[in-house]
Amino acid sequence: MTEPKSFITTQVGSWPRSKTMLKSLRSYQKGTVSRQDFNLVAEDEIRRTVALQEQAGLDIVVDGEHRRESFYAFITDKVAGTQLMSLAEMLDFVEDKAEFEEMLRTMDMPASAVKNPTCIGKLSRREPLALEDLHFLRTLTKKPVKITLPGPYLLTRSMWVGALTRTAYNDPREMADDIVRILREELIDLRDAGCDFVQFDEPVLTEVVLSEECGRRTFM
Amino acid sequence: MLTGDYARLLPALERMQVDQFVLEYATPRAGDIEVVGRALSDRELGLGVVNPRTDTVEPVAAIVAKAEQALAFYRPDQLFLNTDCGFGCFASRSVNVEEIAFRKLCAIVEAARILRARYG
Repeated sequence: MTEPKSFITTQVGSWPRSKTMLKSLRSYQKGTVSRQDFNLVAEDEIRRTVALQEQAGLDIVVDGEHRRESFYAFITDKVAGTQLMSLAEMLDFVEDKAEFEEMLRTMDMPASAVKNPTCIGKLSRREPLALEDLHFLRTLTKKPVKITLPGPYLLTRSMWVGALTRTAYNDPREMADDIVRILREELIDLRDAGCDFVQFDEPVLTEVVLSEECGRRTFM
Repeated sequence: MLTGDYARLLPALERMQVDQFVLEYATPRAGDIEVVGRALSDRELGLGVVNPRTDTVEPVAAIVAKAEQALAFYRPDQLFLNTDCGFGCFASRSVNVEEIAFRKLCAIVEAARILRARYG
């Protein structure tokens, strides 16, 4: 199979969630389904997602992110020092509520759908963020594969909730150093495992840059 | 919702050590390709050519035309074709149904086939 060298086609990340997948996710969140059982459902979804991309003729294939609660909140499963918090739980602690709501709008997310990966302690990788995703994807396709990871700006901006995070870090920049270290370790692991393409997602970069321009605080 | 082209992001993007920028261009919000094309064509561009938030499939000819605009700044081997955002951005509701997502991917692949025939 010769790979094309121009106009290479790929996908940016997540695939539509089926009703089965959404039901399993809700049960997993409520604690009535184990992570292992949830993953079995997700793996079936990933198999179908990969098959559809191959059928469409895509050059670089993704797994559709079915294992992930959201494209960034999933790291609470993988990173120590984090806690998944609903918007309602967070609002008690967020100092600038208007700015928080603005970030949600920027990310094009309805508030009801948002669970935030809040930093509540020193951050370290409990397990790789996406290495298992890569290994599983490799068993399903011979095509080049792409792994997506949340970017450092997005994570810093969302994970810092002053009232809770200051127990571990003095300021967002200090926390960001650990986030960058974690992402760098993951990137190296993925590279060493032969991943063809790693994409960092930065949907709030505009907001970060413009906040600095306007002299507002860069982070929440 | 922030609108406008990527001009104000350029100072940040120019400093990033990455091989490729994957950018949304299937929404009018993204502005003209020229803004990024003039400043960042030393890197690859992942050109967003279909919008995962809509349920109409983009015409293949429109995808080809968008890619041809980018060819004013990028070589064919620097130009990737992709969706804008993902299709299922977050957990509680899916942005798009699978059948439409699949047809959008097919449109991207067909556009790439035409572009390769024209430009190698």
